Amino acid sequence: MMVFSSDEPKFPTKKLFEKTTHLMHDGLNARAFGEFPKPEALGDARWTDDLILATWFMAETGEVPENFNYMTGKSGGGFDRLRFKFLAEEQWLEHGEHLDTRLDLNRRDDGRQQLTPDLPIYGGGMSYGSVSLNVMLSRARNSVKWNTYMSTGEGGYPEELYQYKENIITQVATGYFGVEERSIKASPIIEFKYAQGAKPGLGGHLLAAKSGGDVAKLRGSVPFVSLFSPFPFHSTYSVEDHMKHIDWVQTINPEALIAVKVSTPKDVDMVAVGSYYAGAHIIHLDGSYGGTGAAPEIAKKNIAMPIELAVPKVHKFLIKEGVRENVTLIASGGVRTADDVAKVIALGADGVVFGTSDLVAMGCTRCANCEGGPSGRGCPWGLTTTDVELQEWLQPDWAEKRLDNYYIAVQWRLRDIMRKLGLTHISELRGRTDLLRYVSGDES
Amino acid sequence: MVLSAELEHGSSAAESVASEVWGLSRGQARLRADTYQRYHIETVATEEVWKIPRRFNVKVGKFGLAKMIFKEFFQYFGHWETVFSRPCTYGVFSGPIGGFSPRPDLCVGCLRCEVQHPDFVTITPNGELRALGDKYMTYQHIYTIDQEAMRGTVPVRGQGYRGRFGGPGFDGMFTDMSEIIRPSRDGIHGRELIGTAVDIGAKPMHLEFDREGNITNPPTTFTIQLPFIFDAPPATLESDAIARIYAETAEQVDTLAILPATTVERLGLSGPNVVPIVTCTGCIVGAGTRMVELATWNHETYTHFAAQGYAVGVRLEMTGEWLSTLLEMQSAGVSIFHLLADHHGRSGDGRFLIETLKEAHMALVEKGVRDEVTLLGSGGIAGADNLPKGIISGLDAVGLDHVLLVALQARLSGDMQSRDAVTVQLPKKLDHAWAVQRLVNLSCSWRDQMLEILGAMGVREVRRLRGEFGRSMMCSELEADAFGEIEGFPGGGQ
Repeated sequence: MMVFSSDEPKFPTKKLFEKTTHLMHDGLNARAFGEFPKPEALGDARWTDDLILATWFMAETGEVPENFNYMTGKSGGGFDRLRFKFLAEEQWLEHGEHLDTRLDLNRRDDGRQQLTPDLPIYGGGMSYGSVSLNVMLSRARNSVKWNTYMSTGEGGYPEELYQYKENIITQVATGYFGVEERSIKASPIIEFKYAQGAKPGLGGHLLAAKSGGDVAKLRGSVPFVSLFSPFPFHSTYSVEDHMKHIDWVQTINPEALIAVKVSTPKDVDMVAVGSYYAGAHIIHLDGSYGGTGAAPEIAKKNIAMPIELAVPKVHKFLIKEGVRENVTLIASGGVRTADDVAKVIALGADGVVFGTSDLVAMGCTRCANCEGGPSGRGCPWGLTTTDVELQEWLQPDWAEKRLDNYYIAVQWRLRDIMRKLGLTHISELRGRTDLLRYVSGDES
Repeated sequence: MVLSAELEHGSSAAESVASEVWGLSRGQARLRADTYQRYHIETVATEEVWKIPRRFNVKVGKFGLAKMIFKEFFQYFGHWETVFSRPCTYGVFSGPIGGFSPRPDLCVGCLRCEVQHPDFVTITPNGELRALGDKYMTYQHIYTIDQEAMRGTVPVRGQGYRGRFGGPGFDGMFTDMSEIIRPSRDGIHGRELIGTAVDIGAKPMHLEFDREGNITNPPTTFTIQLPFIFDAPPATLESDAIARIYAETAEQVDTLAILPATTVERLGLSGPNVVPIVTCTGCIVGAGTRMVELATWNHETYTHFAAQGYAVGVRLEMTGEWLSTLLEMQSAGVSIFHLLADHHGRSGDGRFLIETLKEAHMALVEKGVRDEVTLLGSGGIAGADNLPKGIISGLDAVGLDHVLLVALQARLSGDMQSRDAVTVQLPKKLDHAWAVQRLVNLSCSWRDQMLEILGAMGVREVRRLRGEFGRSMMCSELEADAFGEIEGFPGGGQ
């Protein structure tokens, strides 16, 4: 919500707002169109300068760029070493809407609603506090547009989101921040977050500086106190306990689908099967290279496995257990591009969750100062901040359009991959490792 | 002492024996138990005496900036806050003349200025920083160690992992986590109850008693509170100041500082937390010493010091037939082995620590003596994540070497791989108290990061992590499982 108030000196003046947003928007546009050399300090091995600039281009235009590599990074492994074995050009299908990218989320045949987003993608949890309300609203509106969903993350369900409730997933995480019967009743999907890929087994920590008035109120806390999400659920020590959790929310909302978000430990296959038998419709694996608002560096790199390695393991185990067709397997944590989406589906997932990609589309440079940085104010781009001035730099109308454009380009590329593989439905790609090839050395 | 008197009446024979073994009266033992304090490292932020190069350079075109100010002066006339607003929340342009004299030290690389003003602002990575270190201990390691030693905290940042997928050496190992198992059901996270203490020395698997009930094979272990020790500075660095710093820090955090016996004697550093490296039976070991290390295996020297009641470790370079030597030494009674790889973690045959440590660990397991001995290991430790991985690979405690010098803002150059070959340039002003605090901070940061790893696994004490290969995952093995059927994967499908 954009507010200009004279008695709140920290809010930007209208002129300052105009100047700053104009410069930001023009700058992002100019960079996306390659009007200036690539910023030398932009990008890293996973999100290269090309990937970031390509995402900005897609967010500006709704098209994939010709001048940037929008498909792979330079991490030297995982998605970045996988390519598709496309058919000969004369066998390619026509590009068009007949190439179906929809995803069925309920495979249990349990009489509950069927939810079918237009893309095999929904929005990952980024809590109010870790991101601004404007970011949440932008993502929510884009979810409505794409008939998909967005998770609240563990920061409660802001009142402003209720107008989009058909597309909002309520997350129940270990701190139970902001979890209310009202939000559970409102949601088509309830997501239990057991762990997060970037900091598996460590819980969460919203720094005091980001837990201001509204954020604290929604979380049932006093302002400017550090808020810890413990790890794990202190009421859950077994699959039976987990099942009781599910019983609890299903009593409140019998129609809701249940998603269980877990990390990727060594026994991730067992965890997935346990979650299925406890009643999950969606098993959401969050790989170790995923995003976060704040996490110990030691955790991001070292704990648990990357998503590319977890998905095949779980997919195969679910098949072996004879339950693969009854559950939706969602992958996140390092899924950056349309090509990554298609690759992880080929490795065995049904669909993916986007988080960082959404932020990059909205202007994120991945500078890694989300948690506050030396300024203590959070993201200077207005994304991962609740600073009263900074959060104004990102307005929902502008950001929603960027997300929409980005998703248009992602869908275009997904269809492009499908047609070149001779597939008409995205689900036909699931588990088709025979359509992938692994490249080494210079080719990667 | 009242406590002591009360205990006199209720004591059992076992208590008496145990107390005597550890050199405590029953009263002292009771008192120690009653005054138990949770282990804690006190950190204090330190200043930089030899600042490492900044992360970014900031270049602002003066003409472009002047042009922009001129334009905005008229465009936003009267709205001075808007005219003078700056695209940086970190203060890079907050000096008296703003962008005309930027403060690049404050730049965090958010690039907002460069995106907003692409025509005259350029942010570039600082080549001077990137030139630090070598291919193993990279500039990122050095930057991180510097931050850890400065603040004593766990490095926390936003966004996800930014590096390569897996990688060589320790990067090729991931540690496990558990979705529901905790180290403890108490506390917010359970981390606060995780033990990082390790036992050093010979541990009998069972007690033996004589006819009078006296223990005939008392344990000779002692405990340090950290699963890492300070290994001797390289021979290329002759610095009494460093020896004093290591010794005092080891005492403060309750770990071990391994130093040449001659240095220990000359500087009067002997004490329970200092381990003199002895080369012959003639070496003098000062009062309070609990443990000595033999520079190389020598049966006579070993027997000489063992007979005096010291815990005796032997330094063993992982070259040649090192594993056979290790087993021979074990047969000869040695119970503390300090394995030495080069500073890239490689043994003489080029293998990395994960493999060689596992080999040593498993050889001792096969022999049925692993729990009776202590494995220490130095070389190749460049980051906090290397600690748990070294322990998972089989070590009881990990030796820090180059890391300590980096924490003291020394500049390392030359051959950073071979042992005792590196060129070390210390800060000109190496204040003792400052330096000790830097190492204390580093110890706290690395211990806390160890707690993060253990907490994620649900492991309650670091001792239980030793040789737990099952709580790790090797990237190469996971890749073979995941990609084995895919065409082009080495050894994989067609």
